[in-house]
Amino acid sequence: MSRHPAPDELLLDYAAGTLPGGPALAVALHVALDPSSQRTVDRLNAVGGALLEREPVPDFGEKDATALDQVLARLDEVPVESPPAAADRRHSTFGWAPAPLVPHLRPGMDWRRVMGKFDEIRLDLPGDFHRVSLLRLEAGRGLPEHKHAGYEYTVVLQGGYTDETGNYGVGDFAVGPGAQRHEPIADPGEPCIALIVVENPIVLTGPWGRWLNPLVSRGWI
Amino acid sequence: MLSADEAADLIEAIATRQDRAAFARLFQHFAPRVKAFIVRGGADPEAAQEVAQEALIMVWRKAASFDRTKASAATWVFTIARNKRIDHLRRNNRPAIDTDDWLTVFAPEDGDADKSVLAGQTYTRVKALLGGLSADQLVVIEKAFFEDKTHTAIAEELKLPLGTVKSRIRLALGRLREALERDES
Repeated sequence: MSRHPAPDELLLDYAAGTLPGGPALAVALHVALDPSSQRTVDRLNAVGGALLEREPVPDFGEKDATALDQVLARLDEVPVESPPAAADRRHSTFGWAPAPLVPHLRPGMDWRRVMGKFDEIRLDLPGDFHRVSLLRLEAGRGLPEHKHAGYEYTVVLQGGYTDETGNYGVGDFAVGPGAQRHEPIADPGEPCIALIVVENPIVLTGPWGRWLNPLVSRGWI
Repeated sequence: MLSADEAADLIEAIATRQDRAAFARLFQHFAPRVKAFIVRGGADPEAAQEVAQEALIMVWRKAASFDRTKASAATWVFTIARNKRIDHLRRNNRPAIDTDDWLTVFAPEDGDADKSVLAGQTYTRVKALLGGLSADQLVVIEKAFFEDKTHTAIAEELKLPLGTVKSRIRLALGRLREALERDES
């Protein structure tokens, strides 16, 4: 059981399918790592099923019958697929990546050093306005102090970190409006890897911030 | 009408022997419901019809992945319809990664056999419990699922403070969770 689960209202948005791509990916990774949140989502899916079942519908009419015939005709070309092997869906290079992340890790993607402080892999989620990144922080290292103009979602995938709000380990989820500044520090041990989804550009608040912020806002760093 | 057991039998009939008659019965039951669900999300009826057909074709394709011990037929069809709705909404942008790949229908392997029988029953219980929610709680849950609105958008629409919507969601989920856990223990 994780100490920092995603809040219920976010799990609801996820199960209902209303989250934009970035936050949906963050919740998907959290759910993959957190059996308790997985159970909540299973239940919410059952709520969706129950609501679908009680949806009032008109009688199945002639038009519907025509639609059914069209679909039946198409089925000849649609094989019934064998169930996916429960086998390892782990990524060959990034073994820490939970299954829902794997399709996003395209061949050739690799860590890129940013400001000499941490490593980043920027993910491209089509049609989403969030900035979605994997960050890697060596043990004991901190991210530059920053705040956000919008919401920030974080899921820890390896190691852990500590900031003003607590200690976060694998599977833990953090979401916050960005008004508060924070300065996460990676815990001792293996490097901390996390998915970070940011609604709006980050604003650096340290002494170099005013020089670096224009670069951040242009997406260069 | 189609009982939960009958619906599960029909999906299994597709999986084991590509039973087209079974598919037709599922289609008759679920296609209009999925269409209504998509229309409520704001799509026009034509587009909704198309999405519903695609969802039902997915039911055929993925029938062998259905596991009645993990979810009811209605729950499973809901997750497929929801993913199709997401794909439909994103198609206007750029081709997205197939939602099936990352918006998991359920945990692939949880190995938790004890819970499996109960998981199938969850749906029936949830259905009964939905009737036990207050109107305030139910409206928030319905808007999230059927009107394609995040909790933030629901707060705006109902002209309620965000905190009120969050607490209604938590109360509703708390009630569901409590009652379901009582059953399971």
